[in-house]
Order: sequence, then C-alpha cells, then structure tokens
Amino acid sequence: MHRRVIAMLGVVAAAIAGMGSARGLSGGVQFPSVQPGRMFQFPADHGAHPEFRNEWWYITGWLNRPNASPVGFQVTFFRIRPGFEEDNPSAFAARQILFAHAAISDPAAGKLLHAERIYRAGFGLARAATGDTDVVIGDWRLTRSPDGKFHAQAGGGDFALDLSFAPTQPPLLEGESGYSQKGPKPDEASDYYSIPHLNVSGTLMRNGLPQAVSGSAWLDREWSSDYLDPRATGWDWTGLNFDDGSALMAFRIRGAKQENFWAGGTLRDSDGTVHAFGPGDVTFLPVRRWQSPQTGADYPVETVLRVHLPAGDREWRLTPLFDNQEYDARRTGGPVYWEGAVRAPGGSGYLEMTGYFHPLKM
Amino acid sequence: MMDRMVAPGPDIKPLLCVRGLRKTVPGGRVLFTGLELAVARGEFVAIMGESGAGKSTLLNLIAGLDAADAGEISIQGHAVEKLDDDGRTELRRRTLGCVFQAFHLLPHLNLAQNVALPLALQDSAGSAALEKAGRMLADVGLQDRDHDYPRDLSGGELQRVAIARALVHGPSIILADEPTGNLDPETAERILELFSSRVRRSGASVVLVTHSPIAAAVAGRKYLLRTSGLIAA
Amino acid sequence: MNRTVLNWIGTAELRAHPGRILLTASAIAIGVGLGFAVHLVNASALNEFSRGVQAVNGDADLQVHSVTPRGFDENLYPKLARVAGIADASPVIELAAQSGDVPITLLGIDFFRAATVTPVLLGRLALNSSAADSLSGTDGLSPDSIFLSRTALAALHKGTGDRIEVESGGKHALLEIAGTLPGVSGDENLAVADIAAAQWRLGTQGFIQRVDLKLADGADLGRVRAGVQSVLSPDAEIVTRQNAETRAGTLSRAYRINLDMLALMALLTGAFLAYSAQALSVARRHGQFALMRVLGMRRQSVLTEVLFEGAAIGIAGGAAGVFLGWGLAAAALRLLGGDLGGGYFSGTRPELVFDPAAAVRFFVLGLFCAVAGSVLPARAAARAEPAIAIKQVGDPADPRKRPGAVLPLVLLLAGGAAALAPPINDLPLFGYLSIALLLAGGIAAMPLIARVLLAPFRALRLPAPVDLALKHLWGAPGQAAIALCGMVASTSLMIAMAVMIWSFRNSVDAWLVQVLPSDIYLRVDSGDGDALTLEAQQRLREIRGIAEIRFRKNMPLWLSPERPAVDWMATQMNGHDPSGILPLIGKTVAVPAGAIPVWISEPAHWIYGYTPGQWISVPLAVQKRGQARKFFIAGEWRDYGRQQGAIAMDLGDYTALTGDQLRTDAAIDLAPGADEARVMADVRAALPPATSRNVTIADSRAIRAVSLRIFDRSFAVTYLLEGIAILVGLAGVAATFSSQTLARSKEFGMLRHVGVMRRQIIAMLAAEGALLGIVGVAAGIGLGLAISQVLIQVINPQSFHWTMDIRLPLPLFVFVAVALIAASAGTALIAGRKAVSRESILAVREDW
Repeated sequence: MHRRVIAMLGVVAAAIAGMGSARGLSGGVQFPSVQPGRMFQFPADHGAHPEFRNEWWYITGWLNRPNASPVGFQVTFFRIRPGFEEDNPSAFAARQILFAHAAISDPAAGKLLHAERIYRAGFGLARAATGDTDVVIGDWRLTRSPDGKFHAQAGGGDFALDLSFAPTQPPLLEGESGYSQKGPKPDEASDYYSIPHLNVSGTLMRNGLPQAVSGSAWLDREWSSDYLDPRATGWDWTGLNFDDGSALMAFRIRGAKQENFWAGGTLRDSDGTVHAFGPGDVTFLPVRRWQSPQTGADYPVETVLRVHLPAGDREWRLTPLFDNQEYDARRTGGPVYWEGAVRAPGGSGYLEMTGYFHPLKM
Repeated sequence: MMDRMVAPGPDIKPLLCVRGLRKTVPGGRVLFTGLELAVARGEFVAIMGESGAGKSTLLNLIAGLDAADAGEISIQGHAVEKLDDDGRTELRRRTLGCVFQAFHLLPHLNLAQNVALPLALQDSAGSAALEKAGRMLADVGLQDRDHDYPRDLSGGELQRVAIARALVHGPSIILADEPTGNLDPETAERILELFSSRVRRSGASVVLVTHSPIAAAVAGRKYLLRTSGLIAA
Repeated sequence: MNRTVLNWIGTAELRAHPGRILLTASAIAIGVGLGFAVHLVNASALNEFSRGVQAVNGDADLQVHSVTPRGFDENLYPKLARVAGIADASPVIELAAQSGDVPITLLGIDFFRAATVTPVLLGRLALNSSAADSLSGTDGLSPDSIFLSRTALAALHKGTGDRIEVESGGKHALLEIAGTLPGVSGDENLAVADIAAAQWRLGTQGFIQRVDLKLADGADLGRVRAGVQSVLSPDAEIVTRQNAETRAGTLSRAYRINLDMLALMALLTGAFLAYSAQALSVARRHGQFALMRVLGMRRQSVLTEVLFEGAAIGIAGGAAGVFLGWGLAAAALRLLGGDLGGGYFSGTRPELVFDPAAAVRFFVLGLFCAVAGSVLPARAAARAEPAIAIKQVGDPADPRKRPGAVLPLVLLLAGGAAALAPPINDLPLFGYLSIALLLAGGIAAMPLIARVLLAPFRALRLPAPVDLALKHLWGAPGQAAIALCGMVASTSLMIAMAVMIWSFRNSVDAWLVQVLPSDIYLRVDSGDGDALTLEAQQRLREIRGIAEIRFRKNMPLWLSPERPAVDWMATQMNGHDPSGILPLIGKTVAVPAGAIPVWISEPAHWIYGYTPGQWISVPLAVQKRGQARKFFIAGEWRDYGRQQGAIAMDLGDYTALTGDQLRTDAAIDLAPGADEARVMADVRAALPPATSRNVTIADSRAIRAVSLRIFDRSFAVTYLLEGIAILVGLAGVAATFSSQTLARSKEFGMLRHVGVMRRQIIAMLAAEGALLGIVGVAAGIGLGLAISQVLIQVINPQSFHWTMDIRLPLPLFVFVAVALIAASAGTALIAGRKAVSRESILAVREDW
C-alpha cells in the first residue's frame, strides 16, 4: 500500500485535469491493469514495471546507533508513468517520472528530518531499470546486488543514509498471492509483495558526522495502474517486524465519514504460515490522538490494531517513537501526512496515516 | 582750543610720522624727495599743491596703497612699509578714514550700509553697525534716510555720507583727498564746515590735500607740496 | 572676511543685476540639466535591460548558454549536471517566438529541475482550489500548457484558460494558458512551457539553448567554472548574470558615454559663460572693489567675495539643473525611448529611476563650473591696485600691451598631445580631454585672435563710427574675449559636431550604396525563428521577374562572454571574391590552399584585434560536433551597420560546414522591365504565412532612406544639445555686450557732447557687434574644425570602431556665420539704443 505516490499522482492528475486539456492526457495510452493469479519472478520483479502507471520501492525501519537511542527511517523510491504525449520524440519527454523521499525520525530532533528528489527519467540522470532493482534519481540510488542485498543512498541537507539491506526471509506475497485489492472493484488493486526482517547495516550521517548503524527494516514493493476508489479519503497502513520472526502488514482505507471503506493485510507467522485478511478482518481503534501544532491535523497516533484470525482475534497496541512524526510536503507539492516509527508489543515497525489534514483525492 | 594746534612738543609721540619720503612716477620724474611730516593727535593738516604735484600719491603712500622709493611712514608707531599687504589693510581698516573727491559710495548699498561698511569690515554685528551708521547719518544732517540709495542724493549729500563713513569706526587719522572738488562753492563751504566740526569732535587727526586755499583755511597747519618736500604756508 | 559685508555686496549685486545673474545661473542649470537628464535616461534604460535579463535568466547561479540561436547538443546537460560542485542543473529551451504579432521569449523548462535551480520561472496554476497553491513542482507538465508573464498576458489580451498559437522557427503550437509566472518581474514578454513539448513542437530535436546551474553549498565558484568549462563544447559558453548585463552595457556604452560627454560639453559652455559673466561683473565693479580695499578689505576677502558669488550662482544653477534634468529625462523617455533615439534598447519603455548620487554629482559639477569660471575674475579683482583702480573704470588693460600667447599655446599643444593618446578602458577619455584643452586654449587665445583678425581692418579707411568701434576692440581685446568666450565655446562645439556628423552621414550614404547593390532585399526579422527553408527558397526562385536571388544566413555569434555577439554573415560570393558585395578597405590577403576565408568588418578589427592574414577559431555550430573551426581572415570591410562587429564568409563554405540550409536574408536583382512592387508582393505571398509576417521586404532605396532616417534620429539629440548650447552662448553674448555697453554710457555721453550723432553711436555699436561676431565666428569655426578632427580621428574610431571620410558642411558654416554676426550686431544695436537713450545726468552720475 502506499502513499506518497498516490498523492503525487493526484497532483499530476489535478494539474492536467485542471487545465481542461482537450488532448486526452492518457488519450492514446493504455495502462495495463493488475490481474489476480500473476506469477512473481525474481529478480525480474525487483526491477521496474514501467508499463504500469505507478510503482514503488518502500523501505521503512529502525536503526540502532551506538550510545544513542534508536531512530526510525524511511527510504522510498517512486515511479510514475504520466502517460501523456508518449509519441514525443524529445529526450526530455516525461515518459517516466521518478521521485524519492527519505526521512529520519529522531526523538532527539522531535520532528522528521527529510529530503526529496524528483526527476523525469532520462539522460542517465534518473532511471528505473527493469530486470532487477536499479533506481537512480540524481545523486540518490537504490540497487540490488547479485548477493541479494539492497543498497540505498539518499539524503541531503542535515542527514544522509548509506544503507545495505540483507534479506533474512523470502519475499512475502501480499493479498491473494500478490494480488492486493484496494477497493470493491477488481481493477482497484495492486501487485504487492514485501520483504520483512531485512538486516540493516551502514552509515547514517548527521550534521556531517558518520555513525555506523544497524537495524531491521521492511521493504514494500507495489505497482498498479488503478489504485484508489474515488470514494476513499485516506488510509492507515502499518508493517511490523516481530522479534520471533513473524511479520504483519495491515491497512484500511477510509471513506468520507472516516468509516472503514476497505481493509486488508497479511500475517506471516514465525513458522512461515501466511494469513491473509479481508476487509472485515482488520480494525484500527484509536486510543490517543495528537493534534499537529504545524497544520492542526488530528492524528490517532496511538492505535490498537485488531485482526481476525481463525484462532481468534489478536491485537497490538501501536505506540509512536514520538508524536510529532508528521510530514508537511505542501511546499514541494506533496500532501500532509503522518508517517513514523512505532513500537508494538514484541516488535516494531512503521505506521502511516493519510487524509487527516485534507481528504486525499485521485 | 587753537593753542593745541601748534607743533607737538618733543615729549608727545606723533600719531603719523613721515621721514625722508621719495617717490618717482613710472616715467622717472621725481614727485617729491626728502618729504617730512609729523601729525599729532587731533591735529588738522592741510597740504596744498598744483595738479600733478603728487598730493593724492602722498595720501596713497600714507594709506599703504602705494609704495615709496625711499623713506619711512609710521602710523601709531607701525612702520607702514614693513607691513605686508594684509597688515597694511588691517592698519588702514582700524586707524584710517578716507574721504574722496568723487565720494565713492557703493551704488547698490543703501546709505546706512555704505556708512556701516568700515564697521562691517571689522566684524561688527550687522544691526548694531547699522544703528550706529544711522546715528552718524543723522549727525551729518541725513536723518531717517538710512534706506535711501546714493542715486537719490545730491553731490553735497553724497559727501556728507562719505564723511559719516570716514568717521563711523572712530579712526585716528582721516585722509581727505579734495573733498570739495566736485561741489559748488556754496555747498563746498557747508561741507567743509561740517567736515572740520565733526572731525574735531571725534578727536581724529586729519591730513587734507587740496588745491583750494578756502578748503585749506580750516586746517591748523598748512603746507605746500614741492619736489623738495613740504613747505609751511 | 565678514559675513555681513559678503551678504551686503552679494545681495546688492543680485538686486542690481538680477537678469545677468539669472542668465549665468541658467547657463549652469542647462548644462547640469542636460548632463543629468542624459545620465538618468541611460541609467534607467540599462536598469530596465538588466531587469529583463534577470527575468529571462531566472535566478540561476551560473548559466551555460549557446553561442548561436540553434543551441548546443542536449547531451551537454547530463555532463554539466555531473560537474563537481554543481548541486543541480536545469536544461532550458530558449526560443524567440511570437503569438500573433507579439514577440515572446519562450522558455521550455523541466519544472522539476527549475524548482530547485530557478524557482522564479515556475508557473502558478490558475486553479481555484486551495490545493492549487501547493502544486508548484509538477505544474504544467501537460504538453499543452503555457505560463505567461503578466506583461505577455496583457500584450496578448488573453487570460488563463485561453488558447494561443505560438510560432517559432516556422513551427506552430496551439497552447493553453495554464497560469501566470508570479516570480517574473519586469516588462519581459516571457512564456514558460514544458521542455519536452517546447523542443518537439517549436524547437530542434536534440538541441537546447542553455543550462541553468545551481552551485552546491560552499562550492568554489572559480573551481566550478573551470569544471564547467572543461566539459563545454565550442558552441556553448558560461554566462553569469553579470556578464549578460555587461554585454548590454557594452553595446550601448560608447553611445551613452558620448552623449554624457556631449552633455558635459554643454556644461563646459556654461562654465565659460559663468566666466564671462563674472569677469564682466568684476570689471564693472573694479572701483567698488578698490574702495573696499581702501576701506580695509583684505585681498583674500575680495577673492572670497567673488568666488562666493560664483558659488551662489552655482548652487542656484546646479539645483535648478537637477530639477530640469529630471524633467528633461522624463520627457525624453516618453518621446524618444531609453536610448534617446539611438536604437540600442528596442521595445522597452523604461521607468525613470532617480539616482540621488548622480544628482549630487551633477549638482557639484555645476557648482564647480560656476566657481571655476569665477576664479580668474576673482583673481583679477583681488590683484588690482586699489589706488589706480579706484579712479578707473572697466578693463584696465594698456592698449599698447600685446595679449599673452604662452598660456593659449601651452593649452593648445597639450590638447593636441592628448588627442594622440590611446583609449582608456575602450573609452576615448583623452580625446575628450583634448577637446576640453583645445577649447580652453582657443578661448585663452581670444584676445590674441581678436588682434590678429582685426589687424587687416586697421589699414582700411573706414567711416568714423566703424573706425571708433575698431579702435575700441583693438584697445580692449580682453573685453571682446570675455564677451565672446561663451559663444566661441558653443559655436566651436557645434561646428565640430556638424563636421563630424556631416562626414559621417556622407560616408554612411556612400557605404549604403556600396552594400546594397541589388534592387530588393528581404530579411527575416525574427532570426532563425522564421528562417527561409529550402522549400521557401525554391518558391522564391520561381517568382517571375527575378533575374537573380542570392540568399544569406545572418546570425549572432558570441566570440567573448563579455561582448555582444558579432553578426556572422554567410553570403554568396563568386569563388571567394567579396568585392562588389562588401565595401572592402585595405588590401586583400591571398588565401592559403584549403583554408576557409572570412572577411572581418572594421569594428570586428578594432574590438577583437583581428587583422587580415590571421587565423581565427570561431565557435560555429559545425556538423562534426565538438569541433571548433579555424578560419583565415582574407580582408577587411567598412561597416557602419553593426557596431558590435561582423564577419562574412562564403555561403557555400557555411553550408558545407554546418549543413544549415535555413536562410535569413535574400538579395534580389530584378529582370529587366520587371515591376518592383509586384515582385515584392509576390515574394511576400510565396512565403509561409508565419514567416511572411516576420519578414521585411524593401527596395534598396527604401532601406537607404530608412537607414539615413535612423541615423538622423540617433543624432537628433546631439543636434538638440548643441543647439541649446549655442543659444546659451548667444544669450551670453547679448548679456555681456549689453552690460559692457551700459558700462560705457559715460563714454557715449562724452561722444555725444563732442558732437557725435546718436545714430552714429548706434552704428558704432552695431559695427562693434558685427566685428565681435566676425571674430567669434572665425575663432569658433577654426576651433570647431580642430575639434572635429579629434572627433573624427580619435573619438569615433576609439568608441565606435569605424572611420569616415571628412566632408565639410560649407552651407552650414555660412549659415552659422551670418546668423551669429547678425545676432551679435543686433544685440549690440539693441544694447546701444538703450545706452544712448539714458539720461545724460545719469551717465555723469555713474561713477563706476
């Protein structure tokens, strides 16, 4: 499931639609739709799927530092195919737009530190290769080496990340063997797999000083052409690594009245058993709310997540690393949302909450 | 009064002292040589001579406006020929008053301003100087005419203004160059009377040059200017 | 010196002669006003231009720009982006475009890159939702969108949501106005679109015109520049905002400085006038100053008094001049535009920018002139012997004494020497110094000149009044000089300018005939934008009535980042023989085998130091990329049309080198009996409609007429300045003469008493005036001729880089001579009537 790309897609669409362009923006372009029963093939599916409208490589996790408290981090790379004027022979034609976002949740800073890059693909300055993970956006990159490790370089301003991610578990196909439905229509879905329990090693630069870090991370891979139902106004998502090796992903999409419009998720036990959740199986119960002093948005920062399992319901109380993990991306054309490191009993992970400032639209 | 008009005694230092003065004109002609003159405080001296004899030149030499070929001039003990131009100017400003044949009033200054000029040159404040000039004008018979301009005046009146100007700053010596030369006899007489009375009242010494015996008559001592010097007349 | 006396005498003089003092002050005011106005107009125009440069360039730290409109290979962009120290690079398509008949600078940008490099170029989407404000980054990605500056919107009479057709390079695109450019200030017609759309629809595949660069924090500019330079191809160069402005400045600098200098010459005339007025006033008050000296005023105080009066005149004139200048500048900007008719800043109507520092500078200059003009008279007044001066009136000069010749000779020689000095910083400053010295020398020589010129008349038997007049002038040549100095200064400057302009105009006329041998000329005004394609060229060839049509490619080419582009002209030459096409000067050098010859214009020679026989390397966009070509300079030609320099080459060579088939110019020879008007109409009809609108088609006669009109227009201001200077000079003669006349009323009274008739006195004065006029005119023309040589031989080559053949405007000389002699006799006559009509009593009363 995610998130910023959708906001960006929304922006692009709004920009185009707002112009009332007579030339259909996607006029001649047919985006493929996600179908159930797809066979995932690796490493090819680690690479880009440029024919789809959008796609992301989404890494979130915790970093442990020597002599300092842990920090949350996210390194996320996105690809969009705007689909307009693909017959333009210009090398500048924006056939693919690539952007990336990196953030650090440091309780000592009391807020998110973040940096962004956005390029149109081309001239070797920005690309998302097929075949294996190889995404370059200016001086940022995300690659996968033959030994299976992912490598990310990102940063700018007051921090920089140079991290390697070693898988300890096979990819986890989300939803129905990788077909993850986001709404009542079959087209409103994505191809979705995750790699939980990545072992992180590398360097975190803060204020010009390198720190060796290690930790645990979660990779989400998702591509789609048609994502959200028009009635959706926001969503909550979480991915949690548990100490026993199990992993949980859960999301819900909210409707106009903050009701559950759609939901889903997956739990893979430590023994490898996978439980897929349908819309009725996932509940987010707000426990404590926090109002952002910057934007005034009101977020349920502490939540009880309940999932329905054949053996009975299980629930975890998600508590944030600290409250102010809101990101206001309006200045650079993005949305306002909350995304931060959270703890759960016996594990930790990330929680994302969108649509609490303005309803998100597509 | 008249008894004071005799030659000064040896104990009285003369106000103006001229010794061995010699002056030639550019052509080489000698105007006078070996000229001696001593004028005491309050003394009225008239010097007569023919036109071209060098009367005006003598006054110019005394005023420090011209340089002699030989001889000494001292005023209040200051040797004029030893002073530089600024020094002579300073001396002139403080100790001399001048009356000219052609009056020489500034046409674009009013009467009070004309009279007050010597005071103004001595850095006296404008209004005080003008008040004093007004009193001087009244004293020479030109009451309430402070704001008239020279163009409005007759010749006699112009010379009255000039007399007021010559006396306004209380000079020790008045140099008068043919002060009645431009006036008709009747006016000349009245002006001479005014001149001598005002000068005497002020206590200043006078050196008057003129070719007119009538004018010279008001003086205590009279001399004729010859090439050889001054001869008592 | 006592302030009271200073005030009394000063105000008394003002009360007594308000008119004369007013005239002197206004002479200073006119000088200051002209100088300040010219300065303000120039400053305002440059300021406007630099704002325009800024608007088009955005706010990039550094910019790489192509040297030709075609652009450079787009693959330079990633290379630049990877240079160490570059934080981000933003590629830009920059096209001269237009919509309807509104010219527009069209920028195609990558919004993502511009967001970090040149955020001011980002458009604001015209959406009503609050979300629209947050949309920057991706605004206008749509290939149909275009964002317009406020000025462009106003010029097009369009609003957001409207569609406009944009044309450039013969290509068209229908675009929708998606929003405005709130970051763009200034009056630039600017449009911003997506780079890909702009390149595809309006530009050239594979080419961009510039890359804007953002430096990394703390990067060393010098090192980054070196890094950038190392990856640049010859058809691209580094441009900073500063040197873009320098370019604009250089283009018009010579013109601006020259106007400034001319204005200062008007001020110089003012200074001479101040001198003559003060000299006169001092001469008249000789007796008064003598009296003051007798009464005990120091020499120094007399000097101070006169200088104080000069300063008072200077303060009044300077202050009035600053206001006058402000008003003149406002009027000039409205009527003539920012270049005062020079044609350097096209299309902009600058806003007047008041410059307090310059105001103070010009005020002080005026004050200085008035005081400087008073120095000599003040010294004369202080030096006079009071014992003599108190008895004399006016000029105490001894008629037997010959006027001095040393000072004028030294000044004139120094002036001649200064003319030989080289320019400083590309400006003929020594040339102007030379003019000032010649003027001063000429005026110092006036008494001598008056004697010399009057000598022949002395042998003649003349009627009594004329004889009297002659004797007066002979006896008092200093007075004559004082009366004349303002007039001589202004006349000589006017004559000098007239000789220069006349020579220039004749040379330009002759040159136009030489460079325009064909009947009809066609030029694409928008440059490469609407250049003639092969197809269009063929259509033109097929028009009936055309005996021969020769195409030409003209384009700007930057040879130095600090200088304006030279005009690169590829033109048809018959086997590398440009004679008959170019007005060659000097000898032609034999071209070595295999070399590609070029012919440089005279300004190119002066500016770049090129000489025939030399090899030059030029960043021409050649077919084989990345390779600069060497060219052999085979000759030089006279060119008045392109002050920034031009280089001509054979069209065949050009096409072979570049593969560029587009043509911007054509020269058409008519077949015998062909109807010129019809051929011109057919030519226009044969062109594509977009091109047709941007093409000037003219017959050579019309071009010549237009060129000369432009020429005259750009010199109109010069004429105006000179005219004003000469009027001021004449007014000076009138004032001086009338006051000298009044000062001599006693003399006239005496003459009347001895039996001279009233009309004889008037005739005498008229004769004096005429004689004075003759002396003034002769001196003015002589001095003017000398100064014109400095203008022609020194100032023009040094500042405009061209030479000319000298021609004398004899009819103008005659006119000026007659007018000035008549005017000065006339003023003398009027003054004389006034003097003689005065009551004799008053004349007697007038002591001094």
